[in-house]
Amino acid sequence: MKIITTGVAGTMESSDIIVRIEPKETNGIELELESDVMQQFGKQIEKVIRETLDELGVEAAYVNAVDKGALDCTVAARTMAAAYRAANSTDYVFKEVTKK
Amino acid sequence: MSFIVSEAAGLHGPQLEKTAEFLLKMGLRYEGGAEYTVFLVDEEGEILGTGSLCGSVLKYIAVDDALQGEGGAAAIVSRLVQHAYLLGRRKLFLFTKPQNEYLFRSLGFFPIASTNSSCYMENSRRGLRNFLDSLEKGEGVQGAIVANCNPFTLGHQFLMETAAAQVDTLHVFVVSEDASEFPFEARFGLVKKGTEHIKNLILHESGDYIISHSTFPTYFIKNEAEAEAVNAELDLVLFGERIAPALGITKRFVGTEPFCAVTNVYNEKMKEILPRYGVEVIEIERKDGISASTVREAMAAGDLETVRRLVPDATYDYILKTIGGEDRLADTVLREDPEQAVETGPAEQTKGARV
Repeated sequence: MKIITTGVAGTMESSDIIVRIEPKETNGIELELESDVMQQFGKQIEKVIRETLDELGVEAAYVNAVDKGALDCTVAARTMAAAYRAANSTDYVFKEVTKK
Repeated sequence: MSFIVSEAAGLHGPQLEKTAEFLLKMGLRYEGGAEYTVFLVDEEGEILGTGSLCGSVLKYIAVDDALQGEGGAAAIVSRLVQHAYLLGRRKLFLFTKPQNEYLFRSLGFFPIASTNSSCYMENSRRGLRNFLDSLEKGEGVQGAIVANCNPFTLGHQFLMETAAAQVDTLHVFVVSEDASEFPFEARFGLVKKGTEHIKNLILHESGDYIISHSTFPTYFIKNEAEAEAVNAELDLVLFGERIAPALGITKRFVGTEPFCAVTNVYNEKMKEILPRYGVEVIEIERKDGISASTVREAMAAGDLETVRRLVPDATYDYILKTIGGEDRLADTVLREDPEQAVETGPAEQTKGARV
């Protein structure tokens, strides 16, 4: 999946996460994460975001996420929605969410 | 206490009055510019919280004490941020009181400069860092000039020549915000041409962090602004604390300012603030009192002889080329290829410039 524009999903309300995905020239996922529970779950949230993008085949993207204590399934769902939007794609494959 | 979220595109009439009244109660003054506003209201429709998007700045954010701790600010900021992203605005800024910094930190904003009364934040941990990294670096003793050059005059040229002679590298930042009679590309292009002979000069765009709508909003409403209301401190603290050290700048040059009250206050503040950060402010006497505003007045009056006396060749050629045509200044950009400009009439040129 190729990221061609800015895609956003989620909110900054409690138990949610807002994920913004943008195109990046060079390969790799550059992630900027801010979380209320950074100490405890920062690594886990980052892992879920990276794995979700990996499953979607996103190879190059700039990702900005502000987490307000979202569960893993929410993190994955918001990441996917933002990625589909950033790829201008509507070929949703929702079963990917249940993998988590 | 629960709330209902609503939104509005632009504030008008009774809604504007109610919002301004609520903001005043919360200690904020509404000064216009809201493009998109979010409200939190109770069941009777009374405002309990609000926030607006003005360009790339989140403004007028306030939540009633009754709602504190209920996620009101998060609901407002979420929607403002989502709306801004949908409009393609990715770099967002806000001002807040220092005691609210932690709240906006938890909403994905990071402080870039603080004074005693206000904190300036952006929605990226590395936004300012990336800007600083992207700037071409100089060497030795380094100085800086920030100028709008609307348009570039012999006065600017003299200021830059004089300053460049006193340092090893002179950084010139041209205000990139497009809020002036001459569009940015034209202003930048004319400075470039008019300073080609100054070998130790590095030209930059001022970007989001030096005299921008967000760091120094009053600059762009000069004519309406009261000198006392000029809020230039953050812009200068940001320059002294972050920008100057990143480039090794130890001198900032300004021309004397006998005409514009806002610029004058800015220069006075500069002398007060920058030395605290080890940046010396050097005021250079304006050459023959030349000012860009005199040039614009002469243009408006069709007095080309005066224009000719005040600006370098490149600026004069540009003015000749673009003069005629109703909205000539707002709509034309500097053309690199003079022949092309001759071939197309003024109307065509205007159209082409927009594409």
